[in-house]
Amino acid sequence: MALVDKHPEMVRYISELEWFKFLREQTVALIEIPEMQLQVKTLDSLLSMYGRIIDAVENNKPFLASYYCLAPELYTAMDLPYYMVMQTPFLASSVPYLLKDIDAAEEMGLGNDLCTAIRLSIYYVEANLSPLPTCALNLLYPCDGAPLLHEVIKRNQRWRNIPMFAPDPPYYMDERSLNYFAGELRNMVKFIEKHTHRKLDLDKLKETIECSNQMFRLWDEYNQLRRNVPSPHGWGIGGPQCFSQAWVYQAGTPEGVDWFKKLVEIAELNVKAGVGPVPQEKIRLFWFDLLPFGWVFEFLPWLESEWGAVMVMDMFANFPYTMIDTSSEEKMWLGLAKRNLFDSPMVRQARGVADNFANDIRRIVKDYKIDVVIWPGHMGHKDGSATVGIMRETCRDLNVPFIHLGLDLFDKRYSTPDQIKDKISQFFRAMGLG
Amino acid sequence: METPIKSKVFEQFNEATKTLLNPVLQDWKKQGGKIIGYFCSTVPEELITAAGLTSFRMRATGSTSTEMSDAFFSSINCSFPRHCFNLALTGEFKFLDGVVCVNSCDHVRRIYDNWKRFVPDTQFIEVMSLPRKTDPPQIAWYRDEINLLREKLEKHFGVKISDKTLWKAIKLHNETRRLQKKLYELRKKDKPPITGSETLAVMVAGTAMPKAQYNDMLRELLDELKGVEGPGDHRARLMLVGGILDDPAYVKVIEDQGGLVVTDSLCFGTRIMWVEVNENIKDPAEALARYYVAERPSCPRFYGEHDNRSNYVINMCREFKCDGIIGERLMFCDSWLVEHYMLGQDLKAAGIPMLKLDREYITGGVGQLRTRAQAFLETIGR
Ligand code: SF4
Ligand code: SF4
Repeated sequence: MALVDKHPEMVRYISELEWFKFLREQTVALIEIPEMQLQVKTLDSLLSMYGRIIDAVENNKPFLASYYCLAPELYTAMDLPYYMVMQTPFLASSVPYLLKDIDAAEEMGLGNDLCTAIRLSIYYVEANLSPLPTCALNLLYPCDGAPLLHEVIKRNQRWRNIPMFAPDPPYYMDERSLNYFAGELRNMVKFIEKHTHRKLDLDKLKETIECSNQMFRLWDEYNQLRRNVPSPHGWGIGGPQCFSQAWVYQAGTPEGVDWFKKLVEIAELNVKAGVGPVPQEKIRLFWFDLLPFGWVFEFLPWLESEWGAVMVMDMFANFPYTMIDTSSEEKMWLGLAKRNLFDSPMVRQARGVADNFANDIRRIVKDYKIDVVIWPGHMGHKDGSATVGIMRETCRDLNVPFIHLGLDLFDKRYSTPDQIKDKISQFFRAMGLG
Repeated sequence: METPIKSKVFEQFNEATKTLLNPVLQDWKKQGGKIIGYFCSTVPEELITAAGLTSFRMRATGSTSTEMSDAFFSSINCSFPRHCFNLALTGEFKFLDGVVCVNSCDHVRRIYDNWKRFVPDTQFIEVMSLPRKTDPPQIAWYRDEINLLREKLEKHFGVKISDKTLWKAIKLHNETRRLQKKLYELRKKDKPPITGSETLAVMVAGTAMPKAQYNDMLRELLDELKGVEGPGDHRARLMLVGGILDDPAYVKVIEDQGGLVVTDSLCFGTRIMWVEVNENIKDPAEALARYYVAERPSCPRFYGEHDNRSNYVINMCREFKCDGIIGERLMFCDSWLVEHYMLGQDLKAAGIPMLKLDREYITGGVGQLRTRAQAFLETIGR
């Protein structure tokens, strides 16, 4: 009997897997290019995680629904595969059926002003298109959408009996918050142990964290290389792939360390040769959000070819790479709390006060010789949209041009790629860029 | 729909909903009293009262534009904070001696960031960190938040908030809740002596004047309403469910179509008074934390509580013999969109008709509201 007959909720997950296999084939065709070799490795790690989840469903093994910012090192240490309920919009929104699913979500009564990533994920859960995990770790940050999605999940008939735990996020960035959140993570592990019958071995955790420390150190090293003019890489490789390795598919694994070593190696070669993604780098831009994954290929190559505009940094590519001290259990918990609450991309900025965004702008503009800050203004990021004045002023102080676009990262019908291109071209011209 | 209320005290309440600095607050100011604005009903007002200050629930009554705040917020932000911040920029909140914000939603929490930078004359501005869950560690966290705010108020305003004064304030606020509940009890009658829009005026006024004085006025109103009967000519009894609704005129449009609003689950309604703070706990900060995080009827800001919220609405609907429910939501509000999505399913299962309405914070053209309310009443009304 096919898996989907017994587990109809796996249909979408399997079509995603097929989609990534297809993308891998396309990438293999370009294997001569070193960056493509790395892309193949990225896809392999992703396919391996898909494989593990499918195996778990087929053979009744434990697996989790969780998130990158809920200490994935713990799951690696406990040998538990995990997937994100928000996986499709975050990691697979190039899938060909995305717009159809967005429409289906709207028809379900979710309107069209709620973040598309949340709407889609609600749709997948309500329409029984999300794998049913052994237990779920629900996300209560960085925005209103995340807890709302998980409230729907908690209430859904098929998910109702799945054990769930959701660590509560404090709003500040201080010692008290850290201790509180470390307590939440400890309770989370007790919960996982209870429901998966897997024990967390502290030596294994230490080993995993040391691996992930190494990955973060290499990521930081790689980012230093992107300070070069020209930047060794643009949007095509960097933030999203590093994110997928360090936070999702290879959190704290030796394979992840190898992946980052290779990345640094490739970037170093480019730096030495003085080459970047375009023949002539004219504009160095900071894209302060997720990439527009739903229409990435229709837009980002254009920025490079039309304007020589290279995405030197994006929201998911840069954060304080704080190492976790593994000298005691207590320090490991505090370190995990800090990494996941104060460092993890998007969470570090959007969860708390607006200074967190503004300080990142200041740091990145200076460190990466940024010529323009693009504030995409994704329709779901309501807190970000409510800080647009503060960000504009921050950039004015730094004397760097700032543009707020207003788009949907996943649905290209909200503002079409052509409209966005026009807006950007007009702005670049007006600012005398490029 | 008119009720026979011809009362001076009611006029005072009504007046208070039409302005920000109402006459009672003006008097308070004249006597040297200080006022603290707060942005969400999860801010423990009792603490402000215990500091000898008056709490003022933020609203943007009278705002006609968001022209100035549009440079700081975007068109995808809820119109409530946009109007509020516009009034802050035009100096309409100069009467406030401080503002307490909370990370209640993605729109409102940014008021803190913008206010702090762009309204520099406000000397006291704080943001509280409200938990998302209602478990014991979250209560402990919020108790500490309350104590931190207590220290800050003491320091800034040069006062001492002892346990004794805090208990006194809690008792005073509980008395407010009891009196308001009495008013709601009157609405259970077949011919309620007060409409939904009038009740909302009474409730809103309660967030904009010193509680002791408000309680006296409310007692007077309750006396006046004793034995009074309303016309009873409504076509249906309705319950309103949603977030910040502070404009009685909005409710009046619905009632003018014949749907009498008899109860609610609103931020200016039952959610702030149906349950009281437990007075049998040793530590007043703990009592407040338990109340604001876990004990009172929750709003969608709290995770894991949807079933309780739905049950609350359904029970309330039955207790007040409602024929249907109107779920109102401000455009771009994620919390209430998803809540109404889930509630709609629960109400369907319970056989209770529901109408979902999106609106802007400032009630503008009412044509569409009228039409939709009429259509709803056609399907459920007598
Ligand atoms: S709905 Fe909840 S979070 Fe929003 S203002 Fe009301 S009490 Fe506060
Ligand atoms: S209506 Fe919703 S978005 Fe607007 S302030 Fe209230 S909770 Fe926030």
